[in-house]
Amino acid sequence: MSSKTTRTVMRSAAWRISLWATLAFALGSMLVFVMLHQFVAGDIQRRSDAWLSGEVEVLGDVAERTPKDRLYSRVVSEVAELASKEVPNKQPSGGDENSSVFFLQTGTNGAMTLWVGRGDGQAELAAIRSTKSMADVPYDLRVKGFHIPFRVATVRIDDGSQIYLGLSERDEMRVLRALRIRFTGWYLLIVLIGFAVVFYATRRMLGFVRQITEAASRIGQSDLRSRVPASSHNDEIGQLARTLNHMLDRIENSMHQLHTMTDSLAHDLRSPLTAIRGQLELALLREVSLDQGEPIVSAIDELDRLCEFLNRSLDVAEAKADALRLSTVELDLDELVRVMVDLYEPCMSEKGLRVRMHSAGAAKVMADPALLHRVVANLLDNEMKHLRAGCTVWIGLSADEQFATLQIEDDGLGFDVELGQQIFEQGVKGRESNGHGLGLAFVEAVARAHGGHVSAGNREQGGAKLCIVLPTVAASYSLVRSEVEFV
Amino acid sequence: MRLLLVEDELEIQRFLRQSLGEAGYEVDVASDGATASSLVSRFTYDGLIVDLGLPDQDGIDLILQLRRNGMQSPVLILSARRSVDDRVKGLEQGGDDYLTKPFAVAELLARLRNLLRRNSSGKEDVTKVRVMDLELDLLKRRATRGDDVLNLSPQEFVLLEYLCRHAGRVVTRSMLLSEVWGMRIQPDTNVVDVHIYRLRGKIDTEGRTPLIKTLRGIGYVLKNH
Repeated sequence: MSSKTTRTVMRSAAWRISLWATLAFALGSMLVFVMLHQFVAGDIQRRSDAWLSGEVEVLGDVAERTPKDRLYSRVVSEVAELASKEVPNKQPSGGDENSSVFFLQTGTNGAMTLWVGRGDGQAELAAIRSTKSMADVPYDLRVKGFHIPFRVATVRIDDGSQIYLGLSERDEMRVLRALRIRFTGWYLLIVLIGFAVVFYATRRMLGFVRQITEAASRIGQSDLRSRVPASSHNDEIGQLARTLNHMLDRIENSMHQLHTMTDSLAHDLRSPLTAIRGQLELALLREVSLDQGEPIVSAIDELDRLCEFLNRSLDVAEAKADALRLSTVELDLDELVRVMVDLYEPCMSEKGLRVRMHSAGAAKVMADPALLHRVVANLLDNEMKHLRAGCTVWIGLSADEQFATLQIEDDGLGFDVELGQQIFEQGVKGRESNGHGLGLAFVEAVARAHGGHVSAGNREQGGAKLCIVLPTVAASYSLVRSEVEFV
Repeated sequence: MRLLLVEDELEIQRFLRQSLGEAGYEVDVASDGATASSLVSRFTYDGLIVDLGLPDQDGIDLILQLRRNGMQSPVLILSARRSVDDRVKGLEQGGDDYLTKPFAVAELLARLRNLLRRNSSGKEDVTKVRVMDLELDLLKRRATRGDDVLNLSPQEFVLLEYLCRHAGRVVTRSMLLSEVWGMRIQPDTNVVDVHIYRLRGKIDTEGRTPLIKTLRGIGYVLKNH
């Protein structure tokens, strides 16, 4: 269940909007940070380079002026050590300060003449030798045994010896790392909060849209009287709700007009028909001789046919306008079709037609039983009227989670190919048909009113094939929900 | 038995009054709701036949109003409308019945009889039905004619039971369709007739008095004398 909720949330528009907004925000702020980081790193380096250059200058001066006697190395070492204690950006490093600075003097032959710093300086000397010495600009030096590089400034003094002053970039890197760690922490927090805020806000906003969709699909399925919830705000959502409600007012109004019209038409025609039929029946019952009775009987038959035609025309008219009034109940299509087949089977076998029904079991649909009865009766009547003796009618019923499918096939002549999908149009009928061309239009109209559809065609082996697909009960119930979930 | 017919169409009024009179009912007629109300307040009727489209008010409103004033008689509703109102369904569940125009007189009479009987003696609880030498055992679902046991399908048994219960009276095809098969359809083909022919083949065998009579254009009668 919770994984289903998660899936629903992840499919929602609110989720997508928040994801994109957060992504844009995260990328933007990351870019700003990278620029800031480079600026800070550059600034720190400039400062330490300035210090290095100054110090190496001073050391060069001292080395130059100090006489090359026994005291020379002591004087220069002390000055170098003093300098190392003034390192900028310096962090306490557990008393091991020498590791952050070194001083190296080489003679004219390139051999080490003086070393101040940690260890014997051979690694540093090797590293310096392998580097192509650059002029007066400080440069990065990677020394074997140290994973943090040194920044080295150099100066050549008049006696031909070279002085190197190296400063470990350890402190600089430590500052930058602290900056990065802090930024990452805050960055994640802010991005998460941002995502939550955007998600909440869009979800809330789209919640109104969802309410409107929910109400609208409810209205579409059952009654036109309810309205979508109107928001008190005068924003886009509020306007949407109001516009929808105006639209529904107009639809309800024209639907009402249509119903009033068809009702009064039906009423105005049925009342005189009732009177005529009643009179005819009275005349018939008052025992007339057989030859007098015959025309009365056929008149009554004609009247009944006229009535059925009237009902069907009005039903088709309403259904074409999506205004067919349904009183739906949950019913088993399998049972309904079986009863109809039981009713029709004797008559069909009397005409030399075989009926074969195969069903995969119960198929629950939400439908108007009276209309479905008329639909199936209509199809079976059609088969009887159009098939020659010796033909077979196959009735198949199957259902999956979404749809129940009723399939009616025969091995007769099939539909007129030239009619194509027009056969569902009102007034369109085959060349040999003597009907009104309403039957299949009615079938299609009823299927559509139930949220289903009909397809018709000819079988490869010959004969007609007609398929009615209706949504199952489960699908009818989930329709409202799914329409809402995908907002 | 005294009935009140509430119908504004004069033609329908006339032939209904005639048919009901011939069927042995005493009939008063009202052309609008107001007249009907005043008649109901003055006289007691065994049953009412009410058309829904009255000039001064809706037939359902009239029925509900009469019921509120304490009228208990059953009502047969006549409707020329296309869809069955939810309120009509409510009344139907409450024991009233409805008929869509146009209707066969025979069907109107049958439904009326059902309504009046339901009202007077409640549901009859019989286990056996006898018409002439035809006997139906409703518990064992067994039918016999004379000494012969009839070999009927369950469907044929229900059909015969319905005919027996209405023995001597006309039953129409649409009555059979709605009562035996439970559907209100109007087939273009003679589906019901074939069922009757088959039933007749089993009941009215050679040498016996035919019991099932066809009334052309109207329906069937199971003879009871």
